[in-house]
Amino acid sequence: MATVHVDLDPEAAVILGSTYPQYDRFLGTNFPVSGLRYDASTDEAAFWKIDAAAYGSGNITMVVIWQADNATSGVVRWEGAIAAITPDTDSQDVTTKAFATATTFDDTHLGTTGKRVHQAPITISNLDSVAADDVVWVRVRRIGSNAADTMANDAWLLQARLTYSDT
Amino acid sequence: MTLNATDRFRTLAQFMRSLDLQLIGLTKPDLVAAVAATDDWIESNQTSFNTALPQPFRGTASLQFKTLLFCYVAMRRAGRLHADEDG
Repeated sequence: MATVHVDLDPEAAVILGSTYPQYDRFLGTNFPVSGLRYDASTDEAAFWKIDAAAYGSGNITMVVIWQADNATSGVVRWEGAIAAITPDTDSQDVTTKAFATATTFDDTHLGTTGKRVHQAPITISNLDSVAADDVVWVRVRRIGSNAADTMANDAWLLQARLTYSDT
Repeated sequence: MTLNATDRFRTLAQFMRSLDLQLIGLTKPDLVAAVAATDDWIESNQTSFNTALPQPFRGTASLQFKTLLFCYVAMRRAGRLHADEDG
């Protein structure tokens, strides 16, 4: 039994025509810090397409690695969802495929330093009958319009990480 | 007349997008209250502002003209109005 790790980088994200996070970077002292800037007021989403290689069973854990633009308090509501298609088996039109029910996680800024790095763990239990080697679309969204989301500026997604069991 | 709820929300949304100052612990509910208070203050003090304006400006300029003047002066005070003369 092993745990499979899949990294979702901002550079590999795909977006729709509206309500998407802007790709941006900070020119750090020693290296650039790239990310997706999720707005504080609207619901913005980015998408990735992965191979569910060696998926065995059980929930998928999504960890959103993020930082604030400069806020030092407040809550960010992150949401994760997947949609899985088994090639040759599923007859679903891929362009109209729906995501399984999304899961949210409210992560509170830990304070003091705006650009400190946080992690928000989301347990995805709505798995859309995912099977090994499926094509899986992953959506990461910030629900900035929700009253529970109180952080007053952009949340930068630095990376998202998926993990699941191969048995 | 004060801004309606939609206008206040959109003011807040754009303010949060444009803001490059440290929030120093402030959250969205704090800013919502500040936007409302600012709008209410403008409503309550517009007569006083108008009275302070000299003639012939006071009698000639439109409400929009006077409001924009207020904004330009305030933006310059906040370091956000760049004039051509600044280079």
